Amino acid sequence: MKKKQIYLFIISIWSSTNMVVSQTELNSSDSLVVNDKILNINKLNLGLDLFKPIKSSSDGDNLNYEIVGDLQLTENLYLAGEYGLVDKLIEDENINFNSSGSFLRIGFNYNMFKNWVGMDNSIYLGLRYATSNFSNKIIDYTVRNQDSYFSNLVDSEYQTIEYSDLSGNWIEIVAGLKVETFNNVYLGFSLRLNKLLSNSKPDNFDTLFIPGFNKVTDDNTFGSGFNYTLTYSIPLRKRK
Amino acid sequence: MIKGHHILLLSLFIISCEKDDICIEGSDNTNRITIGFLDNETKNLTGITLINVKSIENDSIIHEEFSGGSIKLPLKVNSNKTQFIFDNKEATDTLTIYHQSIHQYLNRSCGYKSNFLINTQTEITKKTGWIREITVVKDSIFNEEKTNIFIHY
Repeated sequence: MKKKQIYLFIISIWSSTNMVVSQTELNSSDSLVVNDKILNINKLNLGLDLFKPIKSSSDGDNLNYEIVGDLQLTENLYLAGEYGLVDKLIEDENINFNSSGSFLRIGFNYNMFKNWVGMDNSIYLGLRYATSNFSNKIIDYTVRNQDSYFSNLVDSEYQTIEYSDLSGNWIEIVAGLKVETFNNVYLGFSLRLNKLLSNSKPDNFDTLFIPGFNKVTDDNTFGSGFNYTLTYSIPLRKRK
Repeated sequence: MIKGHHILLLSLFIISCEKDDICIEGSDNTNRITIGFLDNETKNLTGITLINVKSIENDSIIHEEFSGGSIKLPLKVNSNKTQFIFDNKEATDTLTIYHQSIHQYLNRSCGYKSNFLINTQTEITKKTGWIREITVVKDSIFNEEKTNIFIHY
């Protein structure tokens, strides 16, 4: 499943690049003014989330990462996506479990910031559709018991429970900013508000965490997240 | 222009706050086993006086100076065997209960509770022996309303 998502991600970026390039070739005979107004494919941005690898290594988890990318479509509209891998120990109120899986988000960003000439920063709003496939492994839990004469801790000595092939789908609203710090190198920060659409419900357990979505609460379907990103902008056309 | 972004960012922060999940007092809980005492001659529920009841591997006492017709005892949630020592002045007998612990997920804030199924091979290890016989009358523990095991003495 992870591989499938990586392919999807690469293909979607690649195919859109192709589509756009071929379109610009077709349009090359047209007047340049029209071309600039509708399609303005100047750059492809690729980057990494800075927070996740650091957090995962300081927590002693396996490496977690997130690749981010966007492709300029028009002056202010970008095709955007993220792919990430999460393998994380979740220490919940009564249950400690490991959640591991991948997620993919695809959508658009719209830049709302008017740059001065020569500057290239952005404040943007975005929308994503996201999906994740993951598995849970329960490490230990404390059984709710009115009597505490015996230990109520259940760990791997008694049983190990694993749930695989779990999935979740959600949409996200993204708000973020991106600042050009060096030539073609950008630092970014974004906040995300997630609304869960659907998720699988494991037998005798619940989906408490979805990679990419984060914590799933009992009685509402909203989640949140953030990204600190470092991206490199690849110019697709020479600047005039 | 900028004001709109500020409001949006602020609202994202606010929505990101979440309330704590608290397990409500009266929520489902792990139940204890109910053991009744019968007179071996008459087979009637007969009150008994015990010096103490404790687990075989735990020195602390569950019930001290117990007297009554039935007793409620906790079963181990992380084992298929729970052993109790009944001390009846003259003699101490060990009751070994074999059971399945079936953990039932409640919700995030309460976690799991445990239900039990008592196996029929539940046995007594008589030392000097005041217990004559045991019978399992209700093998599942999903509540504490019914007596699960009778001790005949």
